[in-house]
Amino acid sequence: MGKIIGIDLGTTNSEVAVIEAGKPTIIKSSEGQNYFPSVVAFTKDGEMLVGETAKRQAVTNPEGTIHRIKRKMGSGEKVKAHGKSYSPEQISAFILQKIKKDAEEFLGEKITEAVITVPAYFNDNQRQATKDAGKIAGLKVKRIINEPTAASLAYGLDKEGDHKIAVYDFGGGTFDITLMEVGEGVFEVLSTNGDTQLGGSDMDQALVDYFAEIFKKQHNFDLRKDPKSLQRLIEASENAKMELSSTIQTDINLPYIAVINNEPKHFEIKLTRAKFEEIISKFVDKTEKPCKQALKDAKLKPEEIDHVVLVGGTTRIPLVKKKVEEIFGKTPKRDVDPMECVAIGAAIQAGVLSGDIDKDIVLLDVTPLTLSIETLGGVATHLIDRNTTVPTKKSKIFSTAADSQTSVEINVLQGERPMAADNKSLGRFHLDGILTAPRGIPQIEVTFDIDVDGILNVNAKDLGTGKEQSIRITGSTKLSDQEINKMKKEAEEHEEDDKKRKEKVEIRNNGDALVHSAQKTLDEIKDKFTDEDKKAIEDALKELRNALSGDDIDAIKEKTDALTQVLQKASTAIYQKAAQQAAQQHQQTPGEDQQSSSEEAWTGHPDDDDKTINADYKVKKDEDKKDKKK
Amino acid sequence: MTTKKTTGKKKENTQKNTNLKKEIEKLKVELKEKNDKLLRSIADFQNYQKRIEKEITCHEQETKKKYLEELIDLHELLKKAYEDNNPKEGLKLLINNIQNFLEKEQIKPIKCIGEKFNHNIHHAITTLEKNDCEDNTIIEEVKKGYMLNDKILRPSHVIVAKKVEK
Repeated sequence: MGKIIGIDLGTTNSEVAVIEAGKPTIIKSSEGQNYFPSVVAFTKDGEMLVGETAKRQAVTNPEGTIHRIKRKMGSGEKVKAHGKSYSPEQISAFILQKIKKDAEEFLGEKITEAVITVPAYFNDNQRQATKDAGKIAGLKVKRIINEPTAASLAYGLDKEGDHKIAVYDFGGGTFDITLMEVGEGVFEVLSTNGDTQLGGSDMDQALVDYFAEIFKKQHNFDLRKDPKSLQRLIEASENAKMELSSTIQTDINLPYIAVINNEPKHFEIKLTRAKFEEIISKFVDKTEKPCKQALKDAKLKPEEIDHVVLVGGTTRIPLVKKKVEEIFGKTPKRDVDPMECVAIGAAIQAGVLSGDIDKDIVLLDVTPLTLSIETLGGVATHLIDRNTTVPTKKSKIFSTAADSQTSVEINVLQGERPMAADNKSLGRFHLDGILTAPRGIPQIEVTFDIDVDGILNVNAKDLGTGKEQSIRITGSTKLSDQEINKMKKEAEEHEEDDKKRKEKVEIRNNGDALVHSAQKTLDEIKDKFTDEDKKAIEDALKELRNALSGDDIDAIKEKTDALTQVLQKASTAIYQKAAQQAAQQHQQTPGEDQQSSSEEAWTGHPDDDDKTINADYKVKKDEDKKDKKK
Repeated sequence: MTTKKTTGKKKENTQKNTNLKKEIEKLKVELKEKNDKLLRSIADFQNYQKRIEKEITCHEQETKKKYLEELIDLHELLKKAYEDNNPKEGLKLLINNIQNFLEKEQIKPIKCIGEKFNHNIHHAITTLEKNDCEDNTIIEEVKKGYMLNDKILRPSHVIVAKKVEK
């Protein structure tokens, strides 16, 4: 079965969403926007334009451009464009066709079905007209749902048992309040009210007027009369409005806003949130009356409302949120984008109808906290990160930390802290019988497997001998929210300290590994080094060993770096010598000058030549950086 | 004779039953395995999605960095120009630099004055009645528009002529 899209067919803009892999996704228009302007135009050349392009040409073609057709749905009234008349259903169908086409392009498959939202106050005629519009556009309308219902679905309010919801929808041009009752997934509208002439654009206009009046006082010049200045003022007002949703003051700087008497003028002003709120408060206050009326019609007291849902861009303004809290006495829900939540709710309804949302399959658990094992120096090394969907399986290869180590301990940890001791130990076991070998040689594969019931199986396997050992830990995913939050909070609080502690251990581990590999290098290729280099290495090695026996981390780091440098110098000398020898050989064989010219480049890359000696320590260091068993 | 027949049938039936039971057990195990596999694939996919989301944010951050660095340089140089008593020459170079940067990024300004209005690349903010030029031509540019490669970055905001019918 094909996908069903959810469409919020709006008065000024429309949005569309779909369920993809169990999650609602907003579909972008071919112009790259998250919405489709609900505008249709017919040009003089007989071309039909829908959406953004129609909006762009609207002022040049007022007699051929149709706005706000939603207000005429179901009225039987026709609209005229260049002498031809169209029914509102036809015009809406053009918008739906554009949405359908862009959605098909976006999803790469044919779309034939949709869920479309309508205002709660739409009557049967208006709903039928919307359905017909879908039909004309080639869409089978699987369901018409109310906008406030869709918004509530986006918040998952259908799953929370019996309760009452207020949906406060404050858009660019209209305000709607809907009170609903939901029980067993069924929504019933109790009352609706609103103001069709009230919206965010009124606020923008008020802000433009405020700025223009100030400039007029300063320069006796009305910026609103110059289209260029007005355009910049409108944009600045919109930006200021958005900015003041998160900050309490914003600077409006408009250089070269106008030229008066051949002199360029700039506009500079600070706008505080307090002043902004003073300017817009009359519009926000106007929403109170419809809300009170709706409560009265539904015979409800504000405290009987269980949830308040915010819809529409204007609800992002803090003063609006405050007003809503004042009216209903509770904090409104706002974690879904208020501009997109109706389309998202429609997509969720569509997903339920198409089977894209099947609660049994899609709702898989996630690991609430990171699962790790303890490695060298008491570090917690992650196997499965927090928030991973289960069932899942992860493996990592570890090794021994000491020469001739025959047993490793697997300490299974849960928590976000980087040091093992600060996390919760879920269980531990030993893997014995590892063959005697130098450190870093044995390969022990540790596997974490969480099944669908949240049971964690930890298995450790010596890849050399095939010996393995495992434990089963139940309840690793079943933590109370309280526990999870406590552990997360602790991790945040200690983040800085933990980082430092982990760094210290890493420095020590690196130093330790370097001592080991330097000694090995010395033992193996003693005679390749010059006496001078050998002495330098031995001295540096001794100093690092001394530092490691103490607690001064800076000293360990310094001595590690010193030894690394000495070793690098010495090994470079060896490679250079080898390279020279090779070059001499090449010179004796003619016709290979190409290779000799590139010799300098590969002096640092021993892999190219099997004659070169493998200076082990660098490789070792990398390995150490990975993971080492305690 | 008849009793023998029924016992034989009974035997046959019990044999059939055990076979069926075995079959059921086998299918049960198979179903359990298949179900586990399915759930694991779904979980894998969800984890993959999470990883991709992380990577996208990471990528966005990198892209942002690139442009912000350019902006920071510009800011530093503009501050210098502001201190300069005779900043014209410096500003000219600065503008050249920005222009070069935009060109390198394939950003091209949209032509508009004198052109016929085109809804694909122009956004009309108002019209002016004129009788000395052709209908629907652009007479003023309010905000410059740009193309990115051959896609529109932002349309030019323009004022369009309306011919007065005499």
